[in-house]
Amino acid sequence: MQNPLLKKLDFEKIVDALLPVLATFAALAVGAVMLVLLGANPLQAYAAMVEGAFGSTNSLADTIVRATPLLMVGLGICISFRGGVINIGGEGQLVMGAIGATVVGLWLPEVPAFFVVPLAMLAGFLAGAIWGGIPGALKAYFNVNEILSTIMMNAIAVQFMNYLLRDPLLDPDQFNAASKIPQTARLVQAFDLPRLVPTRLHLGAGIAVVLAILVYLFLWRTSIGYRIRAVGLNPDASRYAGIDVKRYIVLSLLLSGAFAGLGGAIQILGVHHRMFTDGSAMGFTGSAGFNGIVAALFGKLHPIGTIPASFLFGALLVGANKLQRVMQVPSAFIIALNGLVVVFVVSSEIWSRRRSRRRMSMSETLPELDGSNKLKKPGETQI
Amino acid sequence: MSDELIRQLASILLQSSPLIIAVSGETITERVGVINLSVDGTMMMAAMTGFVVGLKTDSLLYGFLAAAIVGAIMALLVAFGSFRLKQNQVAIGFVLTLLGDDLSAFLGQNYTRIPGPVVKHLPIPVLKDIPIIGPIFFNQDLVVYFAIVLIFLTWWYLNRTQPGLHLRSVGERPEASFARGINVNRLRYIYTIVGGGLIGIAGAAYSLDVKLGWSDGHTRGLGWIALAIVIFGGWSPVRGALGAILFGATKALATVLQRTFPEVSVVAFNSIPWLLMIFVLLTVGSEFTERLILLMPKPMRGPMSRALRVSPPMALGTTFENE
Repeated sequence: MQNPLLKKLDFEKIVDALLPVLATFAALAVGAVMLVLLGANPLQAYAAMVEGAFGSTNSLADTIVRATPLLMVGLGICISFRGGVINIGGEGQLVMGAIGATVVGLWLPEVPAFFVVPLAMLAGFLAGAIWGGIPGALKAYFNVNEILSTIMMNAIAVQFMNYLLRDPLLDPDQFNAASKIPQTARLVQAFDLPRLVPTRLHLGAGIAVVLAILVYLFLWRTSIGYRIRAVGLNPDASRYAGIDVKRYIVLSLLLSGAFAGLGGAIQILGVHHRMFTDGSAMGFTGSAGFNGIVAALFGKLHPIGTIPASFLFGALLVGANKLQRVMQVPSAFIIALNGLVVVFVVSSEIWSRRRSRRRMSMSETLPELDGSNKLKKPGETQI
Repeated sequence: MSDELIRQLASILLQSSPLIIAVSGETITERVGVINLSVDGTMMMAAMTGFVVGLKTDSLLYGFLAAAIVGAIMALLVAFGSFRLKQNQVAIGFVLTLLGDDLSAFLGQNYTRIPGPVVKHLPIPVLKDIPIIGPIFFNQDLVVYFAIVLIFLTWWYLNRTQPGLHLRSVGERPEASFARGINVNRLRYIYTIVGGGLIGIAGAAYSLDVKLGWSDGHTRGLGWIALAIVIFGGWSPVRGALGAILFGATKALATVLQRTFPEVSVVAFNSIPWLLMIFVLLTVGSEFTERLILLMPKPMRGPMSRALRVSPPMALGTTFENE
């Protein structure tokens, strides 16, 4: 006979796993009310959305292309949140990584692609690592709140991008134009990531999936990954166990930024082939830096879980674009719908974490994400 | 003092006023032990609401009132989610920031880049003729006067009244306050909502006075600046206000420098406020400061450490349950 308690746990686990999906439906239901208010038929609208995301090979490819940067940012988020550090700097890290890759591509147009493409990716990886490592070091060694500092780093990255695209990296074709479009020259075609099928789908998606598996192995099968998670779960205990907590705080933010940076490089090499700006980060990233956080939470901060989560979220974004075109609703509605999904999913995630903590089951626990894992000095008491 | 400099100082004060109001609101919230991280989104929602209501009713009062209500509701959500639903304050605040950004863009889409009501210039008759001080402080509008009064009112309330003492005690030692018969969560609700209302007023102060009108992401980023300034101010309303003015001055200085050195990219100057804020977070209440203080000559150390070393309210961000 089965243990009834075990049965209950199983049931609650299923509820937990379905919660983000339910939250998405709840958000779509609220969206339906908004659609009615806008005078559109919600059923028709959501049919257009599904059609836009999965309806044809092309739309499916678009969904995957859209999901790739989300997955890359999400992988970084898995590392940093598991390490107990909140990285909200995905936008800036994506931008810096894209800049790194663009600079390498523009600098070596004559060199064979098999050398330049990996080098550009490495540049993106390193640029992102620096942009994540700075707030990491500030947190570890100077106790600077990483939520605020990563937000500031986003703004600085955007300013840096605007500066580069206005002058040093401006497309030579735009020099004499009446109104200069702030973009770089197109990278030579040899550097384009190979397309997998005759659609927009490129190799970057495959790279991201492979990296997801590697991140999983890194976090759960290596001692460095183990220490990152230990620091996230309990910095004090980790310190007593002889782990250099500060170094691992820096490392988790640095790696987090690096994956976002690589995501930016992949966007350049696989999708855009040039850097451009509309004055804000969103023009280039499409808010992937923020949406990647949601994708990672959707995937329970697990690298493998983040793969389908990113795919679903990418589908939502692509489908929403189609919805807007078909139904002629204002583009602000899509922004609001996106925001609603984010809010519902993140809230459901927090809610289920609290439930699981209350259950005190033996299932793995997640680190506290309130930035409270500052090192306490001995003797310092907390109420 | 030249007229140009006085004009510049008056403009800095005007530009900093909304930030002063927001910083006061967040300071009150954090002193009672609650982190309202939604400032950025709240200000955008309030700026949009204040502008639209002001435009529709043609009344500035209703505009500011609506903005304050929006701010109070956002703060109520943070408080309710934290105390009743026992969720993480930081997470709720961050989610509300994203929501405020998106929702304000959606709801305000029909009202972008159109002229609307403007807070009127209102010099104070006799005081404005005082040399130097008059034109800076008393030749302004109601938003500026409100901000100035608010600084001292907040300071006085926190430090010189009994309710203010209760407020601070709840933020420092909720258990002890509870033992003394204070209803901890009720005070936290009240002051979080009051703080949120002030943040809302700050948002409307942008759309109706300092940065007129509404556009997508009208005040984006300023809420984060306000949060950093609260830390810079060491959770004191007066120092927070000085921080806000310092921030305004830096921005004005950047504009002047930009005019003086047109060959340097405008981007360098646009980055200054953000770099400054990171530096501020770095210097305040960190080990960096401790080392800096030790480098100073002995007689300087005492006053400098009092000025630079600050600690947050001890129960900041924690929840309290009556047992």
